[in-house]
Amino acid sequence: MKRVSGVLAVVWAVANLVLAYFFVTGAFVAKTAAKEGLAAQAALLLGGLLIGAFAIVLGRQALALLRSPQPAER
Amino acid sequence: MSVLTAARWLAVLAATATGVAGAAAILSQAGSGAQPWDPELSDNFVFMKAIPFLLALGVTLGLVRHRAARRSERRASDGAIRRFSPGTVAWHWIITIGFLLALPTGVWQYLGGILDVSAPVPLYLFYRVHYMGAGVILLALASFVTYWWLNGERSLLVPRGQWRRHLAGLAHELPRRLGAPLAKRLGIDLTQTPPETGKFTFYEKVVEFPWWSVAIGLITVTGLVKAMRYAYPVPGPVLYWASTLHVAAMVLLVLKVLDHLRYTLERWPLVTAMVSTWLGEGYVRLRHPAWYRTIEGPAMRPGPRAGGAGASERAPAGISLGRDQ
Repeated sequence: MKRVSGVLAVVWAVANLVLAYFFVTGAFVAKTAAKEGLAAQAALLLGGLLIGAFAIVLGRQALALLRSPQPAER
Repeated sequence: MSVLTAARWLAVLAATATGVAGAAAILSQAGSGAQPWDPELSDNFVFMKAIPFLLALGVTLGLVRHRAARRSERRASDGAIRRFSPGTVAWHWIITIGFLLALPTGVWQYLGGILDVSAPVPLYLFYRVHYMGAGVILLALASFVTYWWLNGERSLLVPRGQWRRHLAGLAHELPRRLGAPLAKRLGIDLTQTPPETGKFTFYEKVVEFPWWSVAIGLITVTGLVKAMRYAYPVPGPVLYWASTLHVAAMVLLVLKVLDHLRYTLERWPLVTAMVSTWLGEGYVRLRHPAWYRTIEGPAMRPGPRAGGAGASERAPAGISLGRDQ
């Protein structure tokens, strides 16, 4: 269960890193600036950076979990 | 069987029967071919009409849980302590499924518009899965709230007058680089003995539960406003803000899921407790001493137990205690 959880957490972290990338790049797309305005751009940038940071922390935790020995279930 | 119990079961049966009848009526209308709407709009109507039935069913399932909860024992023969009832574990995973359906599809609906890209599958399928996830979340929420209300469950809330103690506990739990500035701001001396942890950690009570509550409450209310716009003329500005806050709540939930996974994976016994319902006695004694003292039973005897996990003050074999927040 520990290994499966670790692998799933890595997958989730990587998926969220991709999401963070799209948020950050979306903040600088001309269409966003024209259609959504500065506030939306700032929100996308901040959201993307936060998601990226949280995803990195989770990824590190998941890798640490994968490297640790198999635990007792209780 | 008392009159109250009989009335409760009658309410459960009535809500279930009404829910089934409602689902049949909604699906027969949607599938009749008589409606002029495209698949996306049709799904929106199905979801909107299903909401009252989902909420009613969730409330009655919460009633059932309230009855079943009284039968749960708190100690296992090996001294392990029940942290969650089986119902809480089941509904935790049900709402997880709801999030797994609703979050990625919601993110795609938003990002697809921002990036101006289309998926290889029709957009209405994303909405359909999103509504299914939202429906599961609404069902689980109604069940959780009813159960907590009837059971008087307050263990995840900070009791009145206890905020300072909890913030002090949080400052101790957080990593030094985060806890020290918080303690300085609040005038808390980190060299003093930290307050003891109860059933839930200070981080769970001060950060996690409020964060989940605000984000889920916000996404639910704004989602309901968005869903009812075809049945009721919602003013444009209200719809604009509902949509904006719906996206903001989505980001808060994306962040909270990441943080929740990080926090619990670092405390592996908490993950296994959310599957088995049990926490090892040694872990509870080390990490939740205030809670441990409130639990009565023969396994509370001091001294080592043969083969037991709580035989000493060190971590049970193979259990990673993790770093306090």
